[in-house]
Amino acid sequence: MAFSSTAAATAAAAFASGHRSAACRPSSKSSSSFLGASFPRVSAVRRCAASGAPARRAVAVTVRAQAASAGGKKSVLIVNTNGGGHAVIGFYFAKELLAAGHAVTVLTVGEEGSDKMKKTPFSRFSELTSAGAKTVWGDPADVGAVVSGASFDVVLDNNGKDLDAVKPVADWAKAAGVGQFLFVSSAGIYTTSDEPPHVEGDAVKESAGHVGVEKYIAGEFTNWASFRPQYMIGSGNNKDCEEWFFDSKNTNPPAKILANFQIPTRTNLRKKRNLAGIVRKRPVPIPGSGMQITNIAHVRDLASMLALAVESPGAAAGKIFNSVCDRAVTFNGLVKMCAAAAGIDAEIVHYDPAAVGVDAKKAFPFRNMVPPH
Amino acid sequence: MMQIKGAHLYQVLHLKGDRQDFDFVKTSLAAKGFDVVYDINGREAVEVAPILDALPNLEQYIYCSSAGVYLKSDLLPHFETDAVDPKSRHKGKLETESLLESRDVNWTSIRPVYIYGPLNYNPVEEWFFHRLKAGRPIPIPGAGNQITQLGHVKDLATAFGLVLGNPKASKQVFNISGAKYVTFDGLARACAKAGGFPEPEIIHYNPKDFDFGKKKAFPFRDQHFFASIEKATKELGCTPEYDLVDGLTDSYNLDFGRGTFRKEADFTTDDIILGKKLVSV
Repeated sequence: MAFSSTAAATAAAAFASGHRSAACRPSSKSSSSFLGASFPRVSAVRRCAASGAPARRAVAVTVRAQAASAGGKKSVLIVNTNGGGHAVIGFYFAKELLAAGHAVTVLTVGEEGSDKMKKTPFSRFSELTSAGAKTVWGDPADVGAVVSGASFDVVLDNNGKDLDAVKPVADWAKAAGVGQFLFVSSAGIYTTSDEPPHVEGDAVKESAGHVGVEKYIAGEFTNWASFRPQYMIGSGNNKDCEEWFFDSKNTNPPAKILANFQIPTRTNLRKKRNLAGIVRKRPVPIPGSGMQITNIAHVRDLASMLALAVESPGAAAGKIFNSVCDRAVTFNGLVKMCAAAAGIDAEIVHYDPAAVGVDAKKAFPFRNMVPPH
Repeated sequence: MMQIKGAHLYQVLHLKGDRQDFDFVKTSLAAKGFDVVYDINGREAVEVAPILDALPNLEQYIYCSSAGVYLKSDLLPHFETDAVDPKSRHKGKLETESLLESRDVNWTSIRPVYIYGPLNYNPVEEWFFHRLKAGRPIPIPGAGNQITQLGHVKDLATAFGLVLGNPKASKQVFNISGAKYVTFDGLARACAKAGGFPEPEIIHYNPKDFDFGKKKAFPFRDQHFFASIEKATKELGCTPEYDLVDGLTDSYNLDFGRGTFRKEADFTTDDIILGKKLVSV
């Protein structure tokens, strides 16, 4: 369930709907050691177990492994952003495809030697190359040259936020006869609604760059699909959303927030040095009531969805998919789950960003859904 | 209630009595011998046992339970497989569901969220309509972004029809409500649209600042509360006919808008809130 933006307007907590069967598809791969990655996957497993899906899960893995031989090995190009929350999607998608026996090229925007490449998931690209992927760097506007004239069956643009960025890739793909064009859009484009969840087909902000892209590719390709994610977590994430709960690096805003509070005595002693961070057993400052709702999916589930589109192009053709978890979670709930994953009790401290004089956008990694009073 | 088809006339037989008189229930129902029971108002398991005793060859027992049985959660929407709260106000419904399961009867349980529609005995939409009609502000607790869910009673009735004799409904629970959820603030606006009222003035307040005694200041539980109807949609082909504004309009046109309602307007708690709010400004 993805929610729409901002506080400026009225109400609010809108979020997008994710259907159970599509979004809930736990991976057979074992996890990293990163604490945050385990809980949504665990809950996904629990849900799937409850609905009797384990058998299906096993079958799905077999089907995927056979896809390459059954449907034919496909050659897939992933045009990947070099930073931000979506960066990790290309990484997991590549892994899914490689495991299924497809040929994968990842074109990362920019230069191989740039500082951005020192962060995950880029710093883990050896995991892709050792599995047979090609990794190249360059300007998507020159995609044809960057991939040295190679041809592909499928292209995923996991980079552009507007037509300026995607058009060159789409035009090249069309001219090159690419069979399927996939686009990672955003659930942030839905217009604010009093009636959540957002479902595919709901009104979107016409001025949003992603909307322009979706319209363009719909006109250019018979076989296109667009995926609208909300928030993603998973090890190798480039953007620190769940990490914030575990060990905040933003020193100033939390300290300022906490300085204004009556915190229980045992924490008062640590108040001055306090930074949010459950692992360091500090209180977690949450703007507003903490009732605001968001949707966080594990990037593996998103990658599975993309892989399904590659394997069943007919089913995906011409469609838009919300790429979110089947459940939304409150900010408070998110803190409690991170704490449970870390095996610790978390203390939540609620604050009014306006009263404390803090920009909630900087102090908290999720969009604040508290409507203005 | 039994529907007898006879010579171009549908007759509804009305047996009048006290449901709590278990002997009466057992003997009168046994005498009639029904094939299917729709239990719309059962609250406690003890009320259901005599019916089951009276009708040993029952083909199906269709029970109107409640989404109120779900244990409060930070992860939403509620699915039928979610944990239930054995301590909730609706625990009698849970106990009834357990009884049905244990009695080897072909049962179906329907869990609605908030029901609305013409002739609603529960002041759900009526609560908003009273205030809108009086031109009063709508006091809403908290930020007004709490998410709830309403389902039109006609859609609920349709769902009850879809489970009848349906093998996919055998021993199954279904959440039945509207396809979309709504925030408290959004609901105030939707009611205004439904009744052709101007956009309402919404006043938010902290319920902890007030003591309303036994009176309810707001007709909804002050929390997120909504359930997924995906199972019913998939298994029963159940799709609600009404979206929220259309449904509220239907309710307004056929009930409140005609001057009828169940409970007189009572603005006592509103005045307490507004009084304090004005003072603090």
